[in-house]
Amino acid sequence: MKSQRIITFAIEHPKLIVRGMLAITVVLLAFAGVPTLMPDSLGFMPQVTVDTDPENMLPKSHPARVFHNAQKERFHLHDAVVLGVVNDDNSNGVFNPSTLAKVYQLTEFAKGLEGVIESDVMAPSTMDSIENAGPGTVRFDWLMAEPPADQAAATAVRDRAMRLPFLKGTMISSDGKALVIYIPIKEKSIAHEISSSLREEIARLGAGSDQFYIAGLPVAEDTFGIEMFVQMAISAPLAMILIFILMWVFFRSLTIITSPMLVAMASALSTMALLVLSGNTVHIMSSMIPIFIMPIAVLDAVHIISDFFDTYPHIGDRRKTLEKVMAHLSAPMLYTSLTTAVGFGSLALTPIPPVQVFGIFIAIGVLAAWIFTILFVPAYIMLLSPKRLEGFGRNIEAHTTHKGLLSVLGKMRGIHAKIILLVSISLIAVAVVGIQRINVNDNPTKWFEEEHEIRVADRVLNEHFGGTYDAYLNLQFKAPKYSSEDYRTELIAAATSESKAVEEVFSELAALMAPLVGSDSFDALDTLDAAARKSKTSEPSAERRIAWGLALDLLGEQFEAADAVEGEESPLFGEQAIVQATRRAKKIQDAYGALTPLCADVVAASRSEFREALAAKLPSDALVASVLDSFLARQEQSQQVFKTPEMLRFIEGLQGAMAKHSAVGKTNSLADIVKIVNRDLISGEEADYRIPNTQAIVGETLTQYQSSHRKDDLWHFVTPDFQNTIVWFQLKSGDNMEMQRVISAVKTYVRAHPAPMELEEPSWFGLTYINVVWQEKMVSGMVNALLGSFVIVLIMMVVLFRSPLWGLLSMIPLTLTVALIYGVLGLSGKDYDMPVAVLSSLSLGLAIDYAIHFLARTRELRNAHGSWKAAQPRVFDEPARAISHNVIIVGCGFLPLLLAPLVPYQTVGLLIASILLAAGAATLVLLPALIHTFEGLLFRSPKKK
Amino acid sequence: MNKSILTLSFSILLLALAGGEAQAKELTVDEIVKKTNHAAYYQGQDGRSKIKMTITGKGGEKRVRSFTALRRNNSEDDGDQSFYIYFHKPADVAKMVFIAQKKVKGADDRWLYLPGLDLVKRIAASDERTSFVGSDFFYEDVSGRNINADHHKLLETTKNFYVLEHTPKKPGSVEFSSYKMWVHRTSFLATKVEYYNKQKKKYRVMTVDSVVKVQGYSTVKKATMQSLLAGTKTTIEYDSEYNIGLPAKLFGERYLRRAPLKYLK
Repeated sequence: MKSQRIITFAIEHPKLIVRGMLAITVVLLAFAGVPTLMPDSLGFMPQVTVDTDPENMLPKSHPARVFHNAQKERFHLHDAVVLGVVNDDNSNGVFNPSTLAKVYQLTEFAKGLEGVIESDVMAPSTMDSIENAGPGTVRFDWLMAEPPADQAAATAVRDRAMRLPFLKGTMISSDGKALVIYIPIKEKSIAHEISSSLREEIARLGAGSDQFYIAGLPVAEDTFGIEMFVQMAISAPLAMILIFILMWVFFRSLTIITSPMLVAMASALSTMALLVLSGNTVHIMSSMIPIFIMPIAVLDAVHIISDFFDTYPHIGDRRKTLEKVMAHLSAPMLYTSLTTAVGFGSLALTPIPPVQVFGIFIAIGVLAAWIFTILFVPAYIMLLSPKRLEGFGRNIEAHTTHKGLLSVLGKMRGIHAKIILLVSISLIAVAVVGIQRINVNDNPTKWFEEEHEIRVADRVLNEHFGGTYDAYLNLQFKAPKYSSEDYRTELIAAATSESKAVEEVFSELAALMAPLVGSDSFDALDTLDAAARKSKTSEPSAERRIAWGLALDLLGEQFEAADAVEGEESPLFGEQAIVQATRRAKKIQDAYGALTPLCADVVAASRSEFREALAAKLPSDALVASVLDSFLARQEQSQQVFKTPEMLRFIEGLQGAMAKHSAVGKTNSLADIVKIVNRDLISGEEADYRIPNTQAIVGETLTQYQSSHRKDDLWHFVTPDFQNTIVWFQLKSGDNMEMQRVISAVKTYVRAHPAPMELEEPSWFGLTYINVVWQEKMVSGMVNALLGSFVIVLIMMVVLFRSPLWGLLSMIPLTLTVALIYGVLGLSGKDYDMPVAVLSSLSLGLAIDYAIHFLARTRELRNAHGSWKAAQPRVFDEPARAISHNVIIVGCGFLPLLLAPLVPYQTVGLLIASILLAAGAATLVLLPALIHTFEGLLFRSPKKK
Repeated sequence: MNKSILTLSFSILLLALAGGEAQAKELTVDEIVKKTNHAAYYQGQDGRSKIKMTITGKGGEKRVRSFTALRRNNSEDDGDQSFYIYFHKPADVAKMVFIAQKKVKGADDRWLYLPGLDLVKRIAASDERTSFVGSDFFYEDVSGRNINADHHKLLETTKNFYVLEHTPKKPGSVEFSSYKMWVHRTSFLATKVEYYNKQKKKYRVMTVDSVVKVQGYSTVKKATMQSLLAGTKTTIEYDSEYNIGLPAKLFGERYLRRAPLKYLK
């Protein structure tokens, strides 16, 4: 066998091997480390870059992510640091002079920080208040122009803020106990700097009875990055120490057990160095690479040492012992390494880039560990002086703590086998039930421990506010296909109906004028003016409103003319006015009529170009030009659908329905803006908190809204063409499942209550939504990866054992393990999240290891001894012991992850320990039972010795 | 009438200025400020500008508003004034009217007429440094900031410009800490103004892009205001006339609802 020759080479050139491994590791580390530690020296080499952005779970080119970024840009939305202030002690909550003074100062401080988008900072002192200041008066002012001098002023700030539904539940809590300052930042990478500056400023100001919380995704991500390194610096070394201690317990020779440690370290460090050198980022996933590689790397070395430990005392010669050990271990080791590599390598098939990187590099690390193990461990033993090996392996009995259990298994008989098979089948049945209950759910905030300050801030702020998880519902008008032909028809039809309305309205006006002839001109004009205004404002038809507007223009001109008449006495209202009205109507109708010939030969690429072409050839007559110019200006807005009362009411209805959804804390939209301004422009009364009846009024409210200190806030909700708007959902939970419920609730609502104008299918963006997308990909991706690697491993097993039956047999422990793990997961109600998903590959890779070792040695011993009954005690001697050592060493090796500050690491630690235990048990208990039961079938025609 | 007197005195002033730099150099900072204020807001006895306002958003999208502005001086000493602004476009704010009685002493009186609602609103005395109809200009830029609200300092006199620095007397009432103005030495038009915020960062810049003579007055034809932090800008193009004889009553509440179309065309 080839690997045999390689091993012989290692045994013969131990120094070369040891130096070679050290050299490779050191060189790789140097290339990876130097550019980061000394950025100027090797500028062309990649530096270590940390990536904690959950968005990166999706490839940059993924449509959901491209859309997310495009819409963020389109609506000028930025990631924000959220500074929360809570005061439970003061009876006025945060609305007391002292707290508000701090809030004011912190806002000013934040505005001055580099990288903060000053114009978008949301705080009491940066927001506007619109209010009705007595009859007929409206006031636009800062919500809190300066820190309030006394409690009365602080209360006034609260009262003003509470009147703004937009801020209530978003910037201030409805009980007045809390408020938040939103600090948008240019780059997520500066979140840490910003939050530490804020913390310093808070310390300088003195918190007093106020509690300050810093939250927001950028901060969470940043904190995550730091904790990741804590994990790598603490958990990984702790794992090593624990593995070291366990090996010492079993083998009692520091010299010997140093070799697996060196192999593990060399493999883990070289792999990480390769990761950095290949330009990959250190991500939540890739940061777990060392802690995965180390125990796996130890695994093979433990087999060698365990075997060497048992064999050496009988042979007493290093070289001969090694040759014997390697002879029966080299094939299983190659296969176990290959299967583990396949298990992880299959992750490259998932559509999630960080998971791909994770899988590929662990596969590389596992193969590196295999090469290092088969070369370095023998070489290392050869370099030891025989003296140091004295006494090694002698006290087997004393130190094999679990020998009792193994010998019991070694005595297993038929009845036991049947019970074991029965139990296994019932376990599978239970697992199937559990698997059906699995919840696919993840929430990056829950990656932090319950008591972590990020979680605390998240909890406190969610208690006081609508919700801190943002998702945006995107509503896009579906513009009908344009053609010059259609547009021409559309324009002429619009002009015709306006023209018809003018005819009607002006004749109604003439009818109103008739009885007034001969009266005082000013009185008559006032009467007519009032009547025309009344008709105009109560008129449901848009065309007739326009016509009444034109009538009012005429009345205005008549008033101006009367006003210009010199003299003491008012002129009288004459017949002339009626004649004027009739003439004017005719003239306007002619103007509309002029549109048809003007349109006739216009061919343009778009609606706006069509209008421009028309505008360029308006007739010189002032009135005609003015009528058509206004007409075209109105047409320009005819597709501004989100300015129409109908569409705003549709959004209002949707929001109302969603407000009842348990996952939705609050929603904000363009409709809310319009309602607030409408209320305070008209009366300030709740009755006027509504969508106005005409597009013109909506336009007026929005113009007023923009005549503020924050003219650009509008564009966070709607695009300037008013064809694309968003509804901002504040969700109470960042769980994917909740988001998914909201998505389907919106879908159901829109299906039952379609928009009055045709919209594209409602879509979503925002991080909470992005999480849903990669979750879905993760599940399907993982299932495919798992099935793919299952098939590949099965084929490898069939090749290894040269028997389909044995191949299938070797797959049984891992199948049971994987089924059990997921069954328990489903039954316990724990969510199937990203770390759990990744572990399926690990269980596949590790569980097969034990089966390979066990079956390879079993077949060897069964063929040597002629029957399973004779081979059984021998199988349960050294081979079973090596496997059980492995289970304990590797399984426990992952336990230090339980001390990690981040939940995914804890999950991984706990699950790996369980997987190894289950796989070990399945191998040592179920396989013998199967062999016992099906011995005849399995050994029907022993082909080789 | 006083129209001719004003024109005459202004012509004499221009002649005097053209006379030589020696004289100009001797102007005190207060005199420069006064002349600048006059050139910007008080030329002629009244005036009408047809205005095209192009607002460029953060994303580069452009929105156009067009309106006619009438202005009438109510005294001869660069004091109280009346403004009438009538909107033509966009369509949904067409016929909206804004009237202001600018007062040198005390807060301006401002009214708004919203035709869609058919509603007249008085705008309560409050901050005048808010966006003018969603543009980058403030109401105060349109009506003129009271020269008594700031301390003025002449930083330097260059070949063509007086460079002035203004700091607010009441810093709490405004968002800037100072602004710098480049005043053209012969026309007294402020051709560039830079505003600095409380963090001493330049955040707003007004530039005059083109100037024409209208009826003998140097008149801004095009000006741009940039909001550097928001990344937006607004360009105003003026088509101005002077001395049209606007009656005072046009600026009363009666004409708020009934636009004097004769003067607005």
